[in-house]
Amino acid sequence: MGVQPFLEIEGLSKRFGGLQAVDNVGFSMGRNEILGMIGPNGAGKTTVLRLITGILKPDSGGIHFKGKKIVGRKTWNIVNLGIACTFQNMRPFRRLPIIANVMVSCLSPRAMKRGEWVKRVEAKAMDALEFAGISDMALEKASTLSQGDLKRLEVARAIATEPELLLLDEPFGGLSPAETDLMAKSMKRLHKGGRFGRLHSEGPAMIIVEHKLQQLMKIVNRIIVLNFGIIIADGTPEEVVNNPQVIEAYLGQGGT
Amino acid sequence: MGILGFYLRKLFNIVKREMLVLPSRIVVGLFFLVLLLLPVVTQDPYVLRILVLTSIFAILAASWDLLSGFTGQMNFGHALFFGVGAYTAALLNLHAHIPPWGSIPLGGLGAVLAGLIIGIPCLRLRGTYLALTTLAFPIILMGIVFAFSNITGGELGVSGLSRLSGSRLSDYYITVVVMLGLCTIMWKITDSNTGIIFHAIREDEVAVRAAGINTTRYKLLAFCLSGFFAGISGGLYAHFMRIAGPSTLEVSMSFTVVIWAIFGGIVTIYGPVGAVFILFPLLEFFRFWPEYRMLMFAVIVLLTLLYMPDGLFPWLRDKVETECPRCKIRNVATRKTCRVCTAPLD
Ligand SMILES: Nc1ncnc2c1ncn2[C@@H]1O[C@H](COP(=O)(O)OP(=O)(O)O)[C@@H](O)[C@H]1O
Ligand SMILES: [Mg+2]
Repeated sequence: MGVQPFLEIEGLSKRFGGLQAVDNVGFSMGRNEILGMIGPNGAGKTTVLRLITGILKPDSGGIHFKGKKIVGRKTWNIVNLGIACTFQNMRPFRRLPIIANVMVSCLSPRAMKRGEWVKRVEAKAMDALEFAGISDMALEKASTLSQGDLKRLEVARAIATEPELLLLDEPFGGLSPAETDLMAKSMKRLHKGGRFGRLHSEGPAMIIVEHKLQQLMKIVNRIIVLNFGIIIADGTPEEVVNNPQVIEAYLGQGGT
Repeated sequence: MGILGFYLRKLFNIVKREMLVLPSRIVVGLFFLVLLLLPVVTQDPYVLRILVLTSIFAILAASWDLLSGFTGQMNFGHALFFGVGAYTAALLNLHAHIPPWGSIPLGGLGAVLAGLIIGIPCLRLRGTYLALTTLAFPIILMGIVFAFSNITGGELGVSGLSRLSGSRLSDYYITVVVMLGLCTIMWKITDSNTGIIFHAIREDEVAVRAAGINTTRYKLLAFCLSGFFAGISGGLYAHFMRIAGPSTLEVSMSFTVVIWAIFGGIVTIYGPVGAVFILFPLLEFFRFWPEYRMLMFAVIVLLTLLYMPDGLFPWLRDKVETECPRCKIRNVATRKTCRVCTAPLD
């Protein structure tokens, strides 16, 4: 019996009407990897993440997480197995206070089972906010948050389920350079694992979809490049930026 | 004596520090007191009868809010639960001779079952489709009622039920206490962690799923809870009127519930309850001018919603109370600083 890959994706395809958004995508990643995923707008990056979390159903292909087949499972089951995601176009519960936004994640079966000595969901939610850096606004309505703070709220909600695999969809989008640095540092800290107050971090593996290449290259050790739903490159950041196909895909779009 | 004094002082302090600090809490306290003490002032059968019916419909309106206001599952067929509760209680009382204190909770359970049956097909539907589908269910049940008229009495309904209790006064106290109790429970539910998830489902169901929550289970839970409370109100209605007829299933019943709730302010529980206590007696009052009755009713509702889109009670509450910008605690509007964190209120 060989070693089970942590996440294994084979032949994943998804078509929207006449558009092949994801075309025969396959890769696998290890438990401790941070994987970057780049590609021009409309390349299908968000769609790949949605297929992994079960928000969309693939037309064909398989996804295995820790040896378990997850295609066809409900999103909440997948999240409770240990995969959490953020949304590119943030989706907060606008009329709820920020703390309540995070409490929803803390009320998931997975989060309730963990953190043996913390049963108070509020306390745990507060520490997730603390980690994301918006605990001072815990009682504000989510509708009052700025773009950058909404990104942080997305992160807080995702980590509150204590995932082993974290899927981040453009976590630096709309952030200033200083904020981007801060967020990148938080990601690294999270990946190391440990306790942040009452919140426990498994040291999740990550897939980070991002446009800001320079920032991404500081965090990740491997990058996958998508174009028109097809993987056109997969390797270390250096290999990828020197790949002629990648350069063409980006130049064809006017560069990044 | 000393111990009694201690607890009395403690109670007095709680009332003073927790209740008398906010107009909305004072109003709720007065609402409880007035309803419970009213028979001391008057035992006029007409007044008691109106208040009993008002209480019954207050439960119904609040239970609609619990489902449609909180989880956003627009139910335009809430009469289904009311009717199922009424018919279940009536048939059990008439044929199995179960007394009201048993048949009414069983009517509630019957409505829970109805909640499951309509909840499951409704899980996949959203918006207009959900509204239209839910609208159809009470009509279907009405068809069944007419089809099996040897059991259900058809147009005449099931009549000859036991009285709710021995006297008008005890009828009044039973319904009022049940109403106050059930509405408090509903409010507590919405104030709990489950309530947060209900709220979140209304805002963005996909995001709730992505937080690891089984939204199907919570939506069904909302249908069942709402069904239970609405079923109880149907059972109370059947035993109070001593008849369960097809009028409990009418489309106009479903719509009236929605109007009450929206008028009072959805996602509050107290809004729909307050709305019924204003609109139901008002409609009775307009009985003196039967030709203008519905017209006046509609004008009042329309004007209110035009000027208070969030409903009457949230609007009133915002007039007399302000939220502290720092700690989000509510304060009387006349205060200059927050009563808890002393931040200035503007
Ligand atoms: N739900 C959907 N319905 C129809 N088309 C979609 C849907 N989601 C994405 N698409 C299309 O699929 C393509 C890939 O989208 P997406 O995965 O969001 O790209 P990326 O995240 O890489 O910018 C785009 O052309 C987009 O318009
Ligand atoms: Mg995208």
